[in-house]
Amino acid sequence: MRRFLLVLAGLAVVLLALPIVGLLQRMPWTSLPELLGDDVTLDALRVSLVVSLAAALVVLVLGTPLAWALGRTDLPGRRIVRALVVLPMVLPPVVGGTALLFALGRRGLVGQWLERWFGLTLPFTLAGAIVAATFVALPFYVIAVEGALRSARRELDDLEEVAATLGTPPHSVLLRITLPRLLPAMAAGLALAWARALGEFGATITFAGNLPGRTQTLPLATFLALQSEPERALALSLVMLVVALAVLLPMRDRWLPGR
Amino acid sequence: MSTLSLAGATHIGDLPLNIDLNIETGETVAVLGPNGAGKTSLLRLIAGLLPLDTGTLTIDGTTVDDPANGACLPPHLRRLGWVPQDRLLFPHLTVAANVGFGPRADTGRVDYLLDALDLTALANRRPDECSGGQAQRVALARALATDPVVLLLDEPSAALDVDSRHLINGVLATADAPATLLVTHDPVEAATLADRLIILEDGTITQAGSPAGVRSRPRTRYAASLAGLNLLDAEADGTEAVTGTGARVVLAEPANGPVHLVVPPASVALHATRPEGSPRNVWQATVADLQPAFERVRVVLDGPLPVVAEVTPSSVERLGLTVGSAVWAAVKATEVACHPA
Repeated sequence: MRRFLLVLAGLAVVLLALPIVGLLQRMPWTSLPELLGDDVTLDALRVSLVVSLAAALVVLVLGTPLAWALGRTDLPGRRIVRALVVLPMVLPPVVGGTALLFALGRRGLVGQWLERWFGLTLPFTLAGAIVAATFVALPFYVIAVEGALRSARRELDDLEEVAATLGTPPHSVLLRITLPRLLPAMAAGLALAWARALGEFGATITFAGNLPGRTQTLPLATFLALQSEPERALALSLVMLVVALAVLLPMRDRWLPGR
Repeated sequence: MSTLSLAGATHIGDLPLNIDLNIETGETVAVLGPNGAGKTSLLRLIAGLLPLDTGTLTIDGTTVDDPANGACLPPHLRRLGWVPQDRLLFPHLTVAANVGFGPRADTGRVDYLLDALDLTALANRRPDECSGGQAQRVALARALATDPVVLLLDEPSAALDVDSRHLINGVLATADAPATLLVTHDPVEAATLADRLIILEDGTITQAGSPAGVRSRPRTRYAASLAGLNLLDAEADGTEAVTGTGARVVLAEPANGPVHLVVPPASVALHATRPEGSPRNVWQATVADLQPAFERVRVVLDGPLPVVAEVTPSSVERLGLTVGSAVWAAVKATEVACHPA
């Protein structure tokens, strides 16, 4: 039985490692500087960084209060909202993009009013790409921070009470007690959300299109290059692999326990 | 005008909490009571973490809680220090940062307290690197650093090492003497630290007074057990009193009406056969438990008078006492103290 399980576990490891090996084995190392230095790559990298960082910022600003409302209050309807939060994680991204199009598109539910009142167009713009990335990335952050808030609820209640009796006003308690205690979970959640935003494909291409220099992110450029210029696709993949590892390594204590 | 003045009621779940309490500056009052009596809730009430339902709470001349007028000052605007039972040090801050956390804490006071509580060497440590006694000293320093007019201590020396207990008692004796309310279940701690005792049972103050007064004239079974005394509620009629369980007790002095009978365990004599002699209370009992207590043994008796007898180990041996053995118990009438209830 033990041997049988080990064989299956080994298969899983092969499945995880093989693609990476394949990627590196076919990597055009000699022409890499050239491929990584041209406009298409640099544009995609720039768009990807802008979109993913902007999405991370929105996730932080909107996601933290949402995590607080879910994890620290007894507001009614939290179960429904919690299900709503997880939805983008299980929904195929292309469905998310389609939904965004019908909600925020030029003729969409809200989109038509955005355009009429504010002259704001989201589909096929950089802002639209940011909205799409935020939509798929938000759950990762909210779940991480809400989980930390819920498991530390007792401790936070206690510490906040002590801080208050020492004469600390509420906003100062938030900054000096609550946020520092949550920082590790916020950092981990934000890293996950950012990585998810960086890799976003389906919702972005559906809602924001694939316009080089405007909405063409690294994953979109990679997919496009694969059909005409496989070497470029390999080079772009390497960029994303390096970025992903750069996120994973500082978090290894958190995600890779039992070293 | 007292530094702390509380007359009011609130509730903790289903348990009503009714308190009438005044503490002067420099005075220490200890609240003793069984678990779940509302001791910690009383501290939370004063700290502003639990509101009054009725009545008023005044600290240093300022009414901080007055539900009739819709006024309840939040904790950070009440000038008090709270040392919670679990210490609750801020885990992400050093010892020095914990002590200096309060906005009212000034450097001079922080340094003085770190020194007085022997914490200077630990100043840069994290709370998880501190022992229980050290953590308790940090929690006290943190509260005192804000120069409170009311100090609230929840079980301050529970499980403390001797050195920490000594340091803490020293600082409490020399501190700029806030009005101190101390919650404890340890009668020794209460007697050594407090000027006055309050016995809190089921959310109600059942007795208040000096430690010596409570010890000599306990008014409830709990207060008596603190002093190691037996307490029986009875109805007196002349030189005889009838307890709630129907047993008759002979008294040395006549009394009338409901009374508390206090019987020191050492005055309960145990015999193998019915003792003869002077008029006294004699009854047959069963041994329910045997508890060693220093050089004596506390024998818990079942029977018409449920009391504890304190005898020497050699008596236990001589009488062959084990749990369940039958024994004759005797108490002289002059050993039964009788107080009006």
